[in-house]
This record gives sequence, structure tokens and C-alpha cells, in this order.
Amino acid sequence: MPDWKQIVRKDLRVLGVLSPEFAEELAGHLEDSYEASQHEGVTADVAFQRTMSQIEGRRKIWLVLRFLQEDVMTGFSRKVALPGLLTFAASGFVSLAFALAHIQPRIIWLADGQFLALPLWDWCLLPICGALGALLSQRNGGSRLQRIAAALFPSAIMGIVLLLIFPVGFTLSRFVPNYGWDTAVALKSLGLWLLGYVAVPAVLLLLGAGVIEKMKRLPAHAM
Amino acid sequence: MASVGAQIKRGSAELAVLTLLARHPLHGYEIAKQIEEQTGGVLRFDMASLYPMLYRFERKGWVKAEWQTLPNGRRRRCYRLTASGRKQLAPLRAEWRAFFQALQIVTGFQNA
Repeated sequence: MPDWKQIVRKDLRVLGVLSPEFAEELAGHLEDSYEASQHEGVTADVAFQRTMSQIEGRRKIWLVLRFLQEDVMTGFSRKVALPGLLTFAASGFVSLAFALAHIQPRIIWLADGQFLALPLWDWCLLPICGALGALLSQRNGGSRLQRIAAALFPSAIMGIVLLLIFPVGFTLSRFVPNYGWDTAVALKSLGLWLLGYVAVPAVLLLLGAGVIEKMKRLPAHAM
Repeated sequence: MASVGAQIKRGSAELAVLTLLARHPLHGYEIAKQIEEQTGGVLRFDMASLYPMLYRFERKGWVKAEWQTLPNGRRRRCYRLTASGRKQLAPLRAEWRAFFQALQIVTGFQNA
């Protein structure tokens, strides 16, 4: 009798990450399939080839793709990325709506000519966006950490974008003559942007997620 | 008349598996074998179709899987339909019934 567990582990090792029990279950299927072929009276070689054909070539690719598809949709995407992107879209829509309505952020000018933008009306609606992200993640079975991550997704994207701008600008200043890069000014601007577009929104998004967490606990207290 | 959705084609596999599991718990190979036998080989499940579907059912809470040791000492993961799975099966059956009735009207086919 071939060692089907070993064969599955070797041939489908890419699937090993999905579930520790997966290899054993598939091996059991192949084992039953092999025995059924033998009961039909074929030789061991034919039975082996027939069984192996289920996890070889096109079928192997299809099997791997199907499991990867399932896995991608079960984990991070369903519970964090998808709710997070919808939260990001919602917050973007809010900003766009205010911009179209000519509701500008409040600008605070600093002594050195730099300014701090305070999109106060956007901020007022951000808790709703955070609550939306947490709620969608919760509906998809997200854990508490995943719900918070989904709610914070817009801030995370803005943070990454802003943190990328700084090294890109710095790198350009090395190669482009008269680029006008001032590291001190850039660092200060980065700090202000991180405050206005990442830190404060993160707090407000978390506030919305917190409301969902609170609501989630309410029935337990009531019982 | 119930609307026949585009997902009915995809749902055929779900219907077959859930219906079998509604009768009694089975492990993966048995599910594939019984469907093939009962349909005279017309419906066949390969591993790429069957197991991702079973795992999806499990994730949705429609089936519960448990490792069982068979009389020959081998371990197999048996799937049992849950109450939630039974609830899911009822509308699926209704949808398929509507689909076949519609086909019968159009084509004049009758059940054998």
C-alpha cells in the first residue's frame, strides 16, 4: 500500500499551510480510491496510476487554485481587507462629498509658514465609517483584533502613503538638481500630516469600532 | 413563481452534497462515491470540487466535521449536516424544483 499521506504532503505541499488536517483527509480519500480500484480487479500499478491522476497535472493545479481561492476568501480578505477597503471607500466618499459641497477643512497656519489642515466635518463622520468596518468584519466572522484592523484600514492606508512620500521625496532630492528639499521642513510636514490624516482619524475610527464592540457585548449583559 | 437565479448551476453540487448528508453523516470519499453511484456516473465530484466545498460548508456552519475511527482502524473526517445546513437545504430544493418545472414546461420533458 503506498504511503498516501507522504504522497499528499510531497505533491500538494503548497496546500499544507491551509489546514494541519488537510493532508490526512486527502490521503484518506486517495487511500479509499486506490482500494476501490484494486477491488475492481486492476493491478496495483494501474490502481496507483488511476488514483494519482486525481492529484496530477491539470487536476492538481485546479485543486491548488480552488483551495487557495477558498483560503484567500476565508482569512485576511474577508475579515480585514474587504471590510477595510469598504471603510476606506466610505471615508473617501465622505471627504469627496464635503469637497463637492465646498466645505473646506479648517486651516491653522503655523509660525514658520506651514499649516495644519483640520477636516472637522470629515472627522465628525469618521466614527460611522469605523463602525461600518468593524461591523462588516464582525459579520464575516472577524476576531476582535480583525474588527479593529478593518476599522483602522483607512488610517493605515493614509499612513503608508504618507510614509512613502517622505523617502521618495528624499531620494528625488538626491538626483534632481534644485529640487528644493529641506529635510527639517519635510519632517515637520510629515508629522503634521500624520497627525491630521492618520492619528486623529485613527482615534475617531476606533471610537466607531468601540461602539460596535460595546453593542456586541450588550446582549450578554442583558441576559 | 420562484425566480431561478444564476447561482442555480453552481448550487447543483451543493444540493447534491447537502441532500446526501441530510440522510446520514459521510466522509469525503463516500460522498463522491455515493453521488457517482446514485446518478449512474452522470454526476462526478473530483477532489478539487468536493473538499473546498465541504470546507466552505463547515465554515458557514452548515456541516460539522469530526474525525472518526473506522472499524478497519483508519481515521476519516465525517461530515454531518447541522440544523443550519438543513435550513439551507430547504430553499435550495425549492429552487431546483422550480428550475426543473420550468424546464419541463419549456421542453416537454417528463420525469422517468
